Amino acid sequence: MRYDGGLRYAVLGVVSRNQHGVHGWVLKTQCERMLGEFWQLNFGEVYRVLDSLCAESLIEQIVPEVGSNRKVYRITQKGRRSLDDFILTAPTDVPRPLRQELAVKLLFAAAEQLGDLLQLIDCQRKTYMEELIRLTIQRRRLRRLPVDSFVTNLLIDHAELTSRAEIAWLDVVTAALKERFGNGG
Amino acid sequence: MIAFERVLKVFGTGATSVRAINNLSFSCPAGAFWAIMGPSGSGKSTVLHLIAGLTPPSGGTILVDGADVATMTAAEAAALRRRRIGYILQSFNLFPFLTAAENVGMPLVLDGVKQSEVNARVSEALAMVNVSHRAGHRPTHLSGGEQQRVAIARALVIRPSIVLADEPTGNLDQASGRAIIDLIRDINEQTGVTVLLVTHDPVFAAHAQHVLRLVDGALHQDFSLPGTPSERAAG
Repeated sequence: MRYDGGLRYAVLGVVSRNQHGVHGWVLKTQCERMLGEFWQLNFGEVYRVLDSLCAESLIEQIVPEVGSNRKVYRITQKGRRSLDDFILTAPTDVPRPLRQELAVKLLFAAAEQLGDLLQLIDCQRKTYMEELIRLTIQRRRLRRLPVDSFVTNLLIDHAELTSRAEIAWLDVVTAALKERFGNGG
Repeated sequence: MIAFERVLKVFGTGATSVRAINNLSFSCPAGAFWAIMGPSGSGKSTVLHLIAGLTPPSGGTILVDGADVATMTAAEAAALRRRRIGYILQSFNLFPFLTAAENVGMPLVLDGVKQSEVNARVSEALAMVNVSHRAGHRPTHLSGGEQQRVAIARALVIRPSIVLADEPTGNLDQASGRAIIDLIRDINEQTGVTVLLVTHDPVFAAHAQHVLRLVDGALHQDFSLPGTPSERAAG
């Protein structure tokens, strides 16, 4: 999910879950609960998105009770259609380009730097292992929370698979470097 | 505690000999959960075989709970495996003609333990791995994950001080594999048994406190992972 378009529809989606409208601070809590496990939420940005959604008539601000001065956000018919279109449109995520900082280092490294390079690769491997631990902790914590973590667990699966692939690639690089430059470094 | 001091293991002789373990030293404290990683043929499984006394080292010292495995007789090494070391393998190696409970009880029966105690300890071990309800089933009527749980119960029934797990998720899908690693980690936390897990999968190795990475039988990388399992569990 792209950050810019994704946040817009994430907020619209959260508003849509509240049939009778939702107050700003309740929306903030709901956004934290539904999105916070995988999104670094900046609430200034969330409020700007709300203003933008209002301006496009995808949501509206209404007064739910006569005499109340509280306003709540509610999705419009146009907003619901837009959300449905978004859900069924192909994701705009694209595979990462064939580019790695490590590749640039390898491109210009000399054979006598092999030992240092292998150490860098080991550090990188450890970094991904630490990321896997973080994900393991997050998954266990979610298991204990009384919330539906279906989507967050799928995102953790994605992050685990990515880290696993990165570590596998580092293993390939290590073996290839040793073969090319020899074990002595 | 498991300690390797400049351990060497050579298979074969002369020009065709292979150094499976090359000057390996490490010290794994009692109650720890360590993972051993590395490419195929790097010596991961050989480390476990050496600890269990299944094969003698060609050089160096291997201490298991203070006892030197290299100087043990075959009978002493067999007693070590029967009473102190639980072994979990990728293939479950259950007897197809025995029930889950009978498979789990087999190490105790072979060790001459009284049947009443066998029954009590089998029940305890099956409960630890959450397959009590499958006690009377034969392996062919169990899923892969359940068969591995029965194999883990068989490893635990001797109340070992050390569990050696050699690719225990290798025959399982990702979800079943994850459940098995969660179970092994929980057992380590609850019973204090030392666990050495051989795995090629970093996702599973991330459950350990410490990772040894072997390449060509030698220690290539050795690092601790942040937090004890309990701290990590607390999130």
